[in-house]
Amino acid sequence: MFDGLIDGLLLVLQWKAFLYLLIGAFIGYWVGILPGIGGATTLALMMPFIYKMTPGEAFPFLMGMHSVVQTTGDITSVLFGVPGEATTVAIILDGHAMAKKGEAGRALGAALMSALIGALIGAAFLAVCIPIVRPLVLSFGSPEMFMVIILGLTCISTLSGHGKRNLLVGLMCAALGFVVSLVGQDQQAGVLRFTFGQLYLWHGVPLIPLVVGLFAIPEIVDLAVRGTAIAGETELGGLGKGVWQGMKDTFKHIFLTVRCSLIGTFIGVMPGLGGAVAQWVAYAHATQGAKTPEERAGFGKGDVRGIIGPGAANSKEGAGLIPTVSFGIPASTSTAVLLGAFFLLGIVPGPDMLTKYLPVTFSLVWTIVIANILVVGVSLLFINRLASMTEIRGTLIIPMLLLLTFIGGYTASNNIGDLIVTLLAGGLGYLMVRFGYPRPPFILGFILGHLAENYFYISTTRYELEWLYRPKVLVILALAVLVALYPFFQQWRLARKEAAHAAQR
Amino acid sequence: MRLSGRAIMSFCIMLVGAGVCINALAWPFKAALFPMIVGIPVFGLALVDFLCAAFERGGKQASGIDFKFSEDVDKKLERKRTAAIFLWTLGFFFFVLLVGFPIAVPLFVLAYLKLQGKESWAVTIITMAITWGVFYALFIWFLNVPFMEGWIQQGLRALNIL
Repeated sequence: MFDGLIDGLLLVLQWKAFLYLLIGAFIGYWVGILPGIGGATTLALMMPFIYKMTPGEAFPFLMGMHSVVQTTGDITSVLFGVPGEATTVAIILDGHAMAKKGEAGRALGAALMSALIGALIGAAFLAVCIPIVRPLVLSFGSPEMFMVIILGLTCISTLSGHGKRNLLVGLMCAALGFVVSLVGQDQQAGVLRFTFGQLYLWHGVPLIPLVVGLFAIPEIVDLAVRGTAIAGETELGGLGKGVWQGMKDTFKHIFLTVRCSLIGTFIGVMPGLGGAVAQWVAYAHATQGAKTPEERAGFGKGDVRGIIGPGAANSKEGAGLIPTVSFGIPASTSTAVLLGAFFLLGIVPGPDMLTKYLPVTFSLVWTIVIANILVVGVSLLFINRLASMTEIRGTLIIPMLLLLTFIGGYTASNNIGDLIVTLLAGGLGYLMVRFGYPRPPFILGFILGHLAENYFYISTTRYELEWLYRPKVLVILALAVLVALYPFFQQWRLARKEAAHAAQR
Repeated sequence: MRLSGRAIMSFCIMLVGAGVCINALAWPFKAALFPMIVGIPVFGLALVDFLCAAFERGGKQASGIDFKFSEDVDKKLERKRTAAIFLWTLGFFFFVLLVGFPIAVPLFVLAYLKLQGKESWAVTIITMAITWGVFYALFIWFLNVPFMEGWIQQGLRALNIL
């Protein structure tokens, strides 16, 4: 195994492979920064270029691109409130709030450093766990996957904020997200649900225009209303210091970083759950670290932990390769395209990847490590310039943001319907923010709704009600109950502490 | 009872929940089960929220984890600017529909900077040129994104003028 690790490194460090890695990372850098152009689309666009490459050259190229998209997607989300990728939405809540307070440098420092640590943990997990994880993933059938989704849904109680009223509203928003996920052709009976006679809606409401509109348009409205730059009238000064502060924050909250990386890793390994879920679950976990209601109220308004958590969930990129490499089950759309690259190059994922092609497998690990270190290093060099973009006056930046929002939405499927969805989602997002309805539970409900319905039906059709008694299902269910009850336990503990303090006084 | 914006929104969500359930009644069991499971809670939760919003005193409002709009702007000015930015957004959309992205982008930037931003001609033209250059180089030349034609071009083509 150790020999394989060294061989993998040597494979990546060959000049041609390294050059391809640099080109891939460069493309991935810009793909991440530009909203809407997803990593999966770009991977697909790059496929024709790998025909004449050897596996040792093609994988550094593709993985170099794929592994940094999420890292740089965070930059756009933090600076402009426009999601760079559908998987970098959660970081907007606190990242952009910090940018508006003139702390863009600190927010970017924390986002990049946590993303780097997340990527390294994901890569390490990929290196160490391929043989271990195989039986785990294979033992997860539809019932277990359904329960993992329920576990993800319990984060709604955390993302809703404290108090019964907030919980009620959070649940309502999540259920509304579920309703939106129902749109399209039902996969069980083939019935068209809420498509209003539109062919465009047969495949459901697309995620990218929905998140771009929901999150970017309210931010643009706020910027126009304030009539200032993104950073307002705040003196930015000492941006470099802010960057260091952000990087130090990541290490100050290193346990949170590691925990959120592990969350990202776990969700990344599970086929079909997708990167967006990982960021939201990590965000929900980060908010659970708040010890007082005041601290909790600070989330969404610029708490650095709200950046570190979702940033660290970047580990899912490496972890997502585990099921792809070890038994040919893609964990996401991007890894499905990568799987195509494996076949194009004549490599069949499976046991061979752990024996015959072990150096190639480890070259994937090294590519993730090297590409992320390079990209974060380069970003840190230019971070002051990037952060100073929040000082550009609003009237100049608003047309650019609208352009990015429109193109970001449109490139999802190059259909005018994408623009309509972006606009409608923008209107909904505006109303939700205006009237205090939280958007995170809505988007989590939307992402998980479709998956939950599918896994529920497969489980019931295959096992009837017996799936409810499977041991792993019961364990995950218990875990879900614990996670759902945790905010209430926190509240109760806090109330008791306060009562004790009052009695002492 | 007070019909606030929030109460109206809750009422609309209630209607959505009811609509989902009513529609689901016409579908086969397999397709209707999940919409029913989801529609009923949406209706119930929205009803409770509607009642809370309609009968609450002192403007108590739920506030989950999310960002808040700036509150230090005069209400009248806020409404005016909000309406303006929504109109510009819709305007951009109609520009795109009419003439397609490649022409709508410079036109929109020019119109916004000059009419809304009150920028000088020099700043407007330089910004417009840079935006269009980046847009063209990246999305049309490099990524080859298939932007649809505007209605005007389609009409002209149908009339054999283009």
